[in-house]
Amino acid sequence: MVAYKPQYYPGNSKIAKNRKKYLDPSYKLKKLRTISDDDLVKLMGHRVPGEAYKSVHPPLEEMGEPACPIRELVEPTPGAKAGDRIRYIQFTDSVYFTPLTPYMRAWMGHTRYRGVDIGVLSGRVPLEARERDLEKVAKELVETEIFDPARCGIRGATVHGHSLRLDENGMMFDALRRFVFDKKTGEVVYVKDQIGVPLDKPISVGKPIKEEELREMTSEYRVDGVPFREDKEMVEFVQRLHMLRTEAGFDPNKVKGI
Amino acid sequence: MATEKKMFLEALRKKFKESPEEKYTKFYIYEGWKQSKRKKEFVEWGTKLAKERGIPFYNPEMHLGGIPLGQRVLMPYRLSQTDIYCEGDDLHFINNAAMQQMWHDIRRTVIVGLDAAHMVLQKRLGKEVTPETVNHYLEVLNHALPGAAVIQEHMVETHPGLVSDSYVKVFTGDDELADEIDKRFLIDINKEFPADQAAQLKAAVGKRIYQVLRMPTIVAMTCDGGTMSRWSAMQISMSMVNAYKLMAGEAAIGEFAFAAKHAEVIEMGTLMPWRRARGPNEPGGVPLGYLVDICQASRVKPEDPTWVALEAISMGAVLYDQFWFGSYMSGGVGFTQYATCTYTDNVLDDFCYYGADYVKKKYGGFGKAKPSWDLIKDIATEVTLYGLEQYERFPALMETHFGGSQRAAVVAAGAGVAVSLATGNSTAGINGWYLSQLLHKEEMGRLGFYGYDQQDQCGSANSFSYRSDEGLPFNLRGVNYPNYALNVGHQSAHTGIVQAAHSGRGDAWTTNPLIKIAFADKDLKFDFTHPRLCFGKGALREFMPAGERSLIIPSR
Repeated sequence: MVAYKPQYYPGNSKIAKNRKKYLDPSYKLKKLRTISDDDLVKLMGHRVPGEAYKSVHPPLEEMGEPACPIRELVEPTPGAKAGDRIRYIQFTDSVYFTPLTPYMRAWMGHTRYRGVDIGVLSGRVPLEARERDLEKVAKELVETEIFDPARCGIRGATVHGHSLRLDENGMMFDALRRFVFDKKTGEVVYVKDQIGVPLDKPISVGKPIKEEELREMTSEYRVDGVPFREDKEMVEFVQRLHMLRTEAGFDPNKVKGI
Repeated sequence: MATEKKMFLEALRKKFKESPEEKYTKFYIYEGWKQSKRKKEFVEWGTKLAKERGIPFYNPEMHLGGIPLGQRVLMPYRLSQTDIYCEGDDLHFINNAAMQQMWHDIRRTVIVGLDAAHMVLQKRLGKEVTPETVNHYLEVLNHALPGAAVIQEHMVETHPGLVSDSYVKVFTGDDELADEIDKRFLIDINKEFPADQAAQLKAAVGKRIYQVLRMPTIVAMTCDGGTMSRWSAMQISMSMVNAYKLMAGEAAIGEFAFAAKHAEVIEMGTLMPWRRARGPNEPGGVPLGYLVDICQASRVKPEDPTWVALEAISMGAVLYDQFWFGSYMSGGVGFTQYATCTYTDNVLDDFCYYGADYVKKKYGGFGKAKPSWDLIKDIATEVTLYGLEQYERFPALMETHFGGSQRAAVVAAGAGVAVSLATGNSTAGINGWYLSQLLHKEEMGRLGFYGYDQQDQCGSANSFSYRSDEGLPFNLRGVNYPNYALNVGHQSAHTGIVQAAHSGRGDAWTTNPLIKIAFADKDLKFDFTHPRLCFGKGALREFMPAGERSLIIPSR
């Protein structure tokens, strides 16, 4: 039997290749910026830097867990071992050539990280995890190529903006104006945390990625970029999926040759 | 479709006062709620009433801890295929008397056959039933139905000024009988429908005769849908006793009551599972096919089946999304913002006419092609990609439908309506909808919200299923169908998918001919022939509803 090699995603366009790349955990995401651990903690707003993690149960090794084959198979994450509470980070990704779309962000989270719970909406993607695990994951989500400071937002609530036009500085709309464009430095600066509480000091998340670079990095099909209809493999893949689901729902015996 | 012919462009230009193709704009400069005439009115009233009642009230500064609504353009909305522009607030059913009346007119209607009662009268009681006795009975019932006494002494009654919208009419498929019914009581099929539709309807009804009863709007406002068949049955039974000189209380009267309450009754909404805690004649029980038949667009403009479907869609949006999901099921006020996408700004109209043109050119017209995989794939894919590309070509359009669920509903509605038009088969249409959802999700990498997407992930599998716990012919589905119980934002379009299949074929009705005829009634307050125009009048505060209480309250 030939060893299974995951393809991660169908399609043969540039967009499909980017999608495959981001979903493939063996691909190392390029680091583009550095955000200090303390600044990241401040941006998320769940605890004060240096404060101990709050816990919701004692460490697992003190709990005397029952015999369970699943527990033996699955190594708990550090946050689970310690009994951390579950907290979140949430992103809004603009429709204008951002590296990740919501489904890509969610699927990527599932292929790359353990112990995360991710939801997908059109305008936001919440990721929840044990707090110390979350901070580790969040670091990669903000520091690497999958985050554009101007067109991706870290937003706990009032996420409105993914489908709106961009402002005169190329920034995604944010009713709370958590982030602003600093014309002097050319960098995007957060002045409020993700839920909208003002920060003591602004936190820079770096310069926006240039549009021409975003167009190369994006996982969004767009008619003014790479049109979906030109990726015939993609279109036919979805049509086949739909046909198989329909026929199986009507009469599973009709489905042949999968 | 060439850019200059896009149906939505005019509305986009008025909404934003910028080129719809411009990708960049300015935010945070609009003075929040002060940019909106309606919000300013709300503030004025809220301030005044807070003083009067001594309890804090409407105050936009409460929004986001002092960041009010209106950091972006608070855009107006155009009622599609009308010249009416209004603010979003004007399309909330609380602020729109026409929307309220649409629902009240549906809820306060029951249809009750007369044949069982006539059989009891003739065979069991030996009474003669003639057109004259029927006319007399109808006159008695038009006195009694709004809430008046007919056989007892010293009764309380309702004030006619409060219940003048309550009446009974009848219809039959028998032209000879219809000729002998007093015209004041008759829904005349020949007069209300085009000849070909009238012939279809009369053949379906045959020689039977049905009453259409409208309970007072004020009853619909203060009681529930289950009240209607009780109210009508009581007044029918009392009127029978009066009109045919019967003994009050003999066993045969129980049969009138049984016929009027159960055996001959058609409610507009079916009973729902007990966990919904609702009676019959509530929005959640109205099947898609019934709502489509309640809509009367098909008899006034049958030559444009796409327009007919779009009119039905607007009723689905208001009834299912705004009333049912947005209020009965969820509470709160947010769903209006979402639901307006299918009947405003000519967006769905553009997508549907694009699909209709595609079908005409490629498949030779409407209802001419058999459903097949090749057809469903072809039409649903083409219309879906066309719709998505419009959002990408026109950033103002993307901003108008700023929620993914709005875009998903509108794009898939275009695809489903087009497949329905081509095949005359609503189940094929809904299958096209589900293909559209899957294509949309992969194209944009996003769709709606969790609850929206879930139902579309499993929709392909249940679209052709007929097993009782997972499938149903599409016309009979609705929010009472298990997988659609929280199908927010879908049902308006689903209404159009049913309508398009039948209007494309030239059918006079889709699911129940009796319901189609019952709403072909000029005396209804809401205009079911032009629902979008009527909603627009409601938004402009030009619609006069029934159920007003000015007679019994202090004057202002």
